Amino acid sequence: MGAFDTLRIASSSLGAHQTWLDTLASNIANVNTVTSTDQDAFQAQMLIMRESQGGGVEVAGIAVSDPAGRLVSDPSNPLADADGYVRAPEMDLSSQMTQLVMAQRGFQAAAQVTKDAQETYGSALQIGRA
Amino acid sequence: MSVNAIEALGFTPSVAPVMPAGTEAVNGSSQVTGAKFGDMLVEGLDHLEAVQDKSDRLAVQAATGDLDDIHDYTIAATEASVTAQLTVAVRNRAMEAFNEIMRMPIG
Repeated sequence: MGAFDTLRIASSSLGAHQTWLDTLASNIANVNTVTSTDQDAFQAQMLIMRESQGGGVEVAGIAVSDPAGRLVSDPSNPLADADGYVRAPEMDLSSQMTQLVMAQRGFQAAAQVTKDAQETYGSALQIGRA
Repeated sequence: MSVNAIEALGFTPSVAPVMPAGTEAVNGSSQVTGAKFGDMLVEGLDHLEAVQDKSDRLAVQAATGDLDDIHDYTIAATEASVTAQLTVAVRNRAMEAFNEIMRMPIG
């Protein structure tokens, strides 16, 4: 274990949550992206995290939602097929917004760890100082 | 010989040290165990240079817009700052010890 492991581990958490925030931003940006029925729907990204070997967390991969999506009736849409249907992404905006708050809180918690680590290193440097 | 009254105050009578069986007494103060302080200090300075290089590189990336993650830079900067403080603290302590010895009256 190195002297700055607390910072390194917190950094891995900041990185993972940053990636989570990026996927959520992409999902929310595409919440109204519809495609024609002969194409795949927008696939929402879902982050998979796992424990990192040397301590901390890492991104194991990104899963995507069903390309079939949901068929929505929108006859006025220029992409609508003969029956008036378009393909909307299989994604729930309220769930995405909830995850956004979770990702933000996780990022803030990791940032707080770096702050506390800094204070702790400061205390160690004060030892024996007149 | 035992001088209980002053031994309690930290005084050690001048008698030849009793060495454990199998070891030879070495004259002078050339007996060195563990890493030398100078080597440790040089190692610390090398490490300091490495972390400061990393921090500088990320600072340039931040300025040019090539920085992927903000926290990469802030954490590298923190590490560089704490390492610098630690190195300076060790150096100051070494100087204090040296001055203390220089002030020691002889004779």
